[in-house]
Amino acid sequence: MGPLLETFTTELRRGTLTLAVLSQLRTPQYGYSLVQRLERAGVAIEQSTLYPLLRRLEKQELLTSSWDTTESRPRKYYVISEYGSEIYEQLKKEWETMTFELKTLLKGDENDETD
Amino acid sequence: MKLIEAYVYEVTRRLPEKSRNDIALELRSTIEDMLPENFTEEEEMDVLSTLGDPARLAASYRDTPMYLIGPKVYDAYMWTMKMIIPWVILITVLVHVVETIVLFSGEESILSVVIKSFGIIIANIIHVLIQTFFWITIVFIFIERIGMAKSNGSITMFGTEWTPEQLKHVHVLPKKKAIPRGEVIFGLVWTVIWVVLYINADHIAGVYRSIDGEGLQMMMPALNQEVLMSYLPIVLPFALLEIGVALFKWKERQWTMRLVTVNAVIKVFSVVVLTIIATNPTLLNEAMIPYLATELEINLSSVHNFFDWAVWTVIAVIIVTTVIEIYDSYRKAKA
Repeated sequence: MGPLLETFTTELRRGTLTLAVLSQLRTPQYGYSLVQRLERAGVAIEQSTLYPLLRRLEKQELLTSSWDTTESRPRKYYVISEYGSEIYEQLKKEWETMTFELKTLLKGDENDETD
Repeated sequence: MKLIEAYVYEVTRRLPEKSRNDIALELRSTIEDMLPENFTEEEEMDVLSTLGDPARLAASYRDTPMYLIGPKVYDAYMWTMKMIIPWVILITVLVHVVETIVLFSGEESILSVVIKSFGIIIANIIHVLIQTFFWITIVFIFIERIGMAKSNGSITMFGTEWTPEQLKHVHVLPKKKAIPRGEVIFGLVWTVIWVVLYINADHIAGVYRSIDGEGLQMMMPALNQEVLMSYLPIVLPFALLEIGVALFKWKERQWTMRLVTVNAVIKVFSVVVLTIIATNPTLLNEAMIPYLATELEINLSSVHNFFDWAVWTVIAVIIVTTVIEIYDSYRKAKA
């Protein structure tokens, strides 16, 4: 039961990852600061998934990046692009409808059980 | 520090050249971000283990597919394999069998030739299968990487995306009427082998004798090759008709009344032709009968009687099996 449940949970979480990442990039963030922000909000994310995801989103032009070399160590900052914001808003709406629909479904399930 | 360098190297060496430096720089600064000011080796290892296997990390950076043949073309790939492989095996076997029969000189015993051929055929089949597998796979990897990159659907055996239109071409085969593909292939091979044997009968069918323990050697042919050859203008068209029926069966894939009729007509005429040839008194090599009579120390008429009896038994068996076969196909077509 354990590993199977874990697979389902990972699958569920993977779909929401892009949304979570986009939501946090209205201000420029570098890799680790983003991880910390997400973790503070309770979103556990595998780092080996996050960094490739950032690059992919950049390639898809949802994010832009820039290197900051003024500090002691160089950091790559990511920020959401205009196109990225558009996608983010639409995706957020999708998510809201989806959670609403699912809530209704799951509620119906509870009602059935008490009947 | 050394571990971090090694980790970054392990990831980036698996990536395309142009993105290596950027990813290396980012990865290094990220790892350092995760570590406290003066870190121990243990802490370093901890951080690296949260990042996980470098091979997996590298894989998630890459966007080229991590498989050779993906789900889009897998079906077409398997279908092509299934279509081609039986033919490849058939042709390999046929080429070798024909070659062996044609080159058979009677100097070696039939048994040893058969055993040797068997080994060679198995080896050839393995060799040809590896070749076929390799080339089909190469072609499909090519299709996967280049041809299918744009379209979303998977390709079907029509080479296009699936539409309900394709259902019109689907042939629902009734199990009872079906003609197994193996049966058709066997029939084809059988016909070709018999024709080759027929043409080379003087090298193969004969009286064999072991001389000085050097294996069997042919003393004289059993049949009169000239007589056999004189019937060739009738035998060859029948062989071609048999092959035609086999191809017809391959196409229809099930017994139909039309197929049963065509098959029955050809079978009946073949049996008639066979009977005519077999009962021709000049078919047997004349020199063989006195030779056998002296060798076996029996009189000439017993040898004659034996051959007459043998010929009619063979003819009777062939007639019975042909009738059974025709009836069976009729029953299947009516089912």
